[in-house]
Amino acid sequence: MKKKVLLMGASGSGKTSMRSLIFSNNPASLTSRLGATIDVEQNHVRFLGDLILNLWDCGGQDAFMDSYLTTQRSTIFQHVGVLIYVFDVETAEMHKDLEYYRDCLDGLRQFSPEAAVFLLVHKMDLVRDRGAMFERKKKELMEHSEKGQGPVLTSITVFGTSIYDESLYRAWSSIVHTLIPNAAVLSKHLTIFAEACSATEVVLFERTTFLVIATSAAPPAAALEATRYERTSELIKAFKHSCSRVREEFHALEMELPEFSAVLDEMTKNTYVLIIVHDPTIETAALKLNIRMARRKFEVLQGLA
Amino acid sequence: MATTYGATSSAPKRTMSSTSSVATGIARTKILLLGQRRSGKTSINEVLFNALPPKQTFYLETTMRIVKHTYDTVIPLEIWDCPGNITVDTLGAPLSQFSALIFVIDIRDLYKQPISKLVEFIVAAYHDNPQIHVEIFVHKAEKLQEDDKIENFRQIQERVQDHLMERECEQMPYNFHLTSVYDHSLHEAFSKVLHKLIHSLPFLEDLLNVFCANSQSPKAFLFDAASRLYVATDASPVDSATHNLCCDYLSMLNAFGPLYRSPTSSATRLRIPAAEPSPDNPTPAETKDRFYPSAAASLHPSAPGTTLTYHSITPHLALLALVPTGVYEGRRGLLEYNVVFFREGVQEICAVEHEARGGSG
Repeated sequence: MKKKVLLMGASGSGKTSMRSLIFSNNPASLTSRLGATIDVEQNHVRFLGDLILNLWDCGGQDAFMDSYLTTQRSTIFQHVGVLIYVFDVETAEMHKDLEYYRDCLDGLRQFSPEAAVFLLVHKMDLVRDRGAMFERKKKELMEHSEKGQGPVLTSITVFGTSIYDESLYRAWSSIVHTLIPNAAVLSKHLTIFAEACSATEVVLFERTTFLVIATSAAPPAAALEATRYERTSELIKAFKHSCSRVREEFHALEMELPEFSAVLDEMTKNTYVLIIVHDPTIETAALKLNIRMARRKFEVLQGLA
Repeated sequence: MATTYGATSSAPKRTMSSTSSVATGIARTKILLLGQRRSGKTSINEVLFNALPPKQTFYLETTMRIVKHTYDTVIPLEIWDCPGNITVDTLGAPLSQFSALIFVIDIRDLYKQPISKLVEFIVAAYHDNPQIHVEIFVHKAEKLQEDDKIENFRQIQERVQDHLMERECEQMPYNFHLTSVYDHSLHEAFSKVLHKLIHSLPFLEDLLNVFCANSQSPKAFLFDAASRLYVATDASPVDSATHNLCCDYLSMLNAFGPLYRSPTSSATRLRIPAAEPSPDNPTPAETKDRFYPSAAASLHPSAPGTTLTYHSITPHLALLALVPTGVYEGRRGLLEYNVVFFREGVQEICAVEHEARGGSG
């Protein structure tokens, strides 16, 4: 199954930077080397076994935007699964951004009214009072989203993001979650798996991006850190990058820390699983054995076997 | 091993001689952090010892008076963070108290003033205390491109040498380090300074050598877990890339801990609750350690891969070692047996060190 993902927004708002961070494992410090995107850069990302993300990174200069909205209108806005619209939080031309955004929404209403829309208020690291700024921007964006004519778009979600912290992973995990067809089934089986391991929680990650695909049902005493999934994605990605610098490849991790025990290992050829256990009597070797036993089942669930 | 233990008994005498005034509690090894205004002294201290993200150093306030930071690792440290305008006279303490002097200089400061101030301090320091270690951190290396960086680094070294030559003090030992808070160079440089202050270093190194030889480990570091400074390493040469990887590994593990902390189960995880006191031992039974925190990351999925192991040694220290994956998976028991011996050795050295510095208990 192919899903088309449109990545749009003003020139210099950070579209290509976030793409390179999420999909190419480049560190945030190197994004300044990226050049402007000319026209549309198409990428195919094989995500899970049968899900291919067809990522359209649309250059944001005015001339390109005008042509997307006129001559290329049907090509761009047809068969869209997700539209991701990026706003630079510190932009000087918010009016123009909003105008283009409204036009893009109109295009989407015309050709893909079913598409999910994600609005990313990006470069949040540049503002000091993030909470207040985000609320203000969110309100402004939601108001503008309702202004167009035609059918109401099903879902519009706003995220505040920055490439320098975990917020970007939070937004993207939630984006891909809407695209995965069998997320609920995976979740159900992860819960069973968690029970078999006496685990507090089990999290399934996509292999290359380390975005969260599914998790087991929330642990009963759900007092764990709220940002833990995206922080985990960020930490593992950073460590994978450190490994690649010494020409090594990260493979698996096991931990017995004062706070918890955990195993992070390959589940199927395109997913990684993280098992978190708080019971001190559970050995990590037993968790690894369980992963090996569950592998076959999860391959079937993903349609790989 | 037995000879190593015996040798540790000579350590207290050496440390005692360097303790000057034991006013309260333990005698701390003092490090003086000097440099021009805005050269990055407080940033260095905060990034290393308070885990401040490097990007946040931008918001640090100017230091107006001397701030003394204490930090406990294998030895207790006291770092004096000084304001930029301090002089030998306004320091308020004799230079003989300090074990090391770190002078921070902005890599773009090629001018006369900072360099002559630096030379002033070097000369005064050697006059008061010929034993002092003078370390010069040419800082903010990230501000310049590669070529300019090397050129400025070289020029600063040359000018300091010229100035010292004029004062006829050129034979004084001092070291230059190129540092930046944005990469691992600061950790590496500060680790090297720290090594000179640890009198028990040869014994720690011996323990590491023994561990490496018996575990087929090509490289092992004893890290201070919180600051990510390495306290000691085995005799094989330190390769920057490996050091950086271990540093990153440690920072990942440090960050992981709090993420999945459960408020309910943490208390009983590390220690087995005191069981019923046995009849032959009337004293209240001590709680027993259930396990020491450890971790392992395997690199390279194929057979001849490397595993990066982490073993907590003391509350402050952790052993990081590169071990062939075959050894880790096939002979993990033996490896952990070696870790137990290593841990006992280090704990003994730390206890002796603590006692020698007048700590209680």
